[in-house]
Amino acid sequence: MGSEPDFAADLSHPILHEDEWNRITAVVDAFENERPAHIAVIADPFAGQDVLMKGLLRRYSDRVIHLPFFSVVKGRDFLTQITGHKDIVVMDHCHFLATRKIGGFAMVDAFLDHLSTSERLFITQWNSFTWSYLKATRHIETFFPVVIVIPEIDSKTLKKLMLSRYTDEIEFVAGEPSGNDLLSTDSARIVKLPFCEKQYSISLPHLFGGNGESGKRTGVHPEDAEDIAFDKIIRIADGNYGVAERIWDGSLDGNTLRVAEIPELPCAISLDINESFLLTIILSMESVSIVDLAEIAGPEINLKQTLFRLTHQGLVFEKKGYFGIKPEALGCVKGYLKRIRMVW
Amino acid sequence: MAVLNETLSTDASQIASAIPEMGEIITIVLILVGAYLIVKIADFLLRRISESAGRYRITVTMVIPLLKIIVYVSAVYFIILTIFDPGLPELALFSGLFGAAIGFGLKDIFADIIGGIVIAFERPYQIGDKIEVSGTYGEVTDIGLRATRVVTPDDSVVSIPNYAIFQEATASQNAGKTEMMVTIDIFIDPRSDADLAMDILKDALITSKYVYISSTRPYTVLMQDFPFYRRIRARGYVNDLRSEFEFRSEVTRRAWGELIRQGISPPPPGHVVPNKMEE
Repeated sequence: MGSEPDFAADLSHPILHEDEWNRITAVVDAFENERPAHIAVIADPFAGQDVLMKGLLRRYSDRVIHLPFFSVVKGRDFLTQITGHKDIVVMDHCHFLATRKIGGFAMVDAFLDHLSTSERLFITQWNSFTWSYLKATRHIETFFPVVIVIPEIDSKTLKKLMLSRYTDEIEFVAGEPSGNDLLSTDSARIVKLPFCEKQYSISLPHLFGGNGESGKRTGVHPEDAEDIAFDKIIRIADGNYGVAERIWDGSLDGNTLRVAEIPELPCAISLDINESFLLTIILSMESVSIVDLAEIAGPEINLKQTLFRLTHQGLVFEKKGYFGIKPEALGCVKGYLKRIRMVW
Repeated sequence: MAVLNETLSTDASQIASAIPEMGEIITIVLILVGAYLIVKIADFLLRRISESAGRYRITVTMVIPLLKIIVYVSAVYFIILTIFDPGLPELALFSGLFGAAIGFGLKDIFADIIGGIVIAFERPYQIGDKIEVSGTYGEVTDIGLRATRVVTPDDSVVSIPNYAIFQEATASQNAGKTEMMVTIDIFIDPRSDADLAMDILKDALITSKYVYISSTRPYTVLMQDFPFYRRIRARGYVNDLRSEFEFRSEVTRRAWGELIRQGISPPPPGHVVPNKMEE
């Protein structure tokens, strides 16, 4: 059986997804070999699901068979790895078991067949968009009595997470750097447009104030500047931990973070059906090779041209032949594809 | 005699007061132009908004015919106010003239306008819907005061008088929703593996880039046996009804590509396969 370390010892981020962690460990600790309550952990890309999965591996290291997938699964060999006396199977990135093409569900069907007859407890992690798709098309949720959806984080959690990284104090500046603050934008109005889930921030310029080097001089208390900064980051990141972390890293200049310099990301996507479809596939698989994309796209889609356009618009990135959604474009891409109902 | 003269002079003055002067004519023209511009601008803006409203696209366009009626009825009201003092004799005179106009040949137009009002309020169909009425099938692009314009699959614009709503059965394929059920049939040789064909058609349907599936928008795949062929029928929802034919084409093309690859063939030549869906 696993050791009994506390929450903080298991996870690299002691605050992130504590409730979800408690739910999973409660199920695992209650597990006896009869009728395992298989667990599905559902998360958007970059939402911090890896923290949970790594924590599980750490906590139940002597009980776990670990099956991580890194690309589309094309053979049933993975099932042969589920052997031995260990009673828990942890599977990362299970969205690679299904491909959106004719005959593309063979692996997920084989997996579900195996899971249906196994006495082991399966803890699986899925991309939320693939999960929704498989839920609609294959009723996959019926195989997993415990479904844990990784929630969006709030600005207080983000603040704790980010500040816990540093021993030195971070200085938060509400306004623009010196010389730039005649029209500094230390306050913003949050606007919600009809038919759009996303909130937009309109910066309100002020014509007064000194050089804006500190919160005090711009009329904003430094502690308020801190809260404004994290509120802004979490709003831009749409509550996604990984995206927020990236925005934080990109905005921090040494030990100083200027609220006005946290980049607002414009969201104006207009794609044709083929571009939208490929974007959906990339979003649903998180990281997909051009070979797999070509198989899914079929002859109807000019893959190279479409990928070029998606990359050129700053929506996807390419790394060693694999394509993924750019973290900073995630919220925008999600909103767009949901609106046109390519994902649901 | 004096009484008669007085009555005649009163009638004459009423008729004279009903004839608009130059200033009133200009006002009337301005009201009409203003109403037309308001309708056109609102129509343009609402259509633009509807395109960015995703699944609420048709809900937004629903406002257009309603707005047209409100604007034009208001315009008529202001024109009447401009021409007449809204006294009883003037209203009686106007009603008489209006009744006569309807009797002399405007009754069809009047019926169409009433039909337009009924369509705007009762909403048997909306702008953006796919409808079938009077033997015409297509997408509703405009609901005017007099007629509903429908674009057929071969891109013909058909104007259906609004009065048809009182006489003809109207079928709306999507009933105001953006998605729409599409039926796709393929016919295979009865000696082929029908189970495999059903699996392939199902996969082609659910992996389509146009498909929309939810608990309330499920898909089905059915098989029916006929003397010389088997029909595999898939039903699923297209995520935007404007892609109805692309959806059907894409699923059919991809399904046949795989069917042929798996050795499943169409019915033997010489047997007539219905080109119209039965049932």
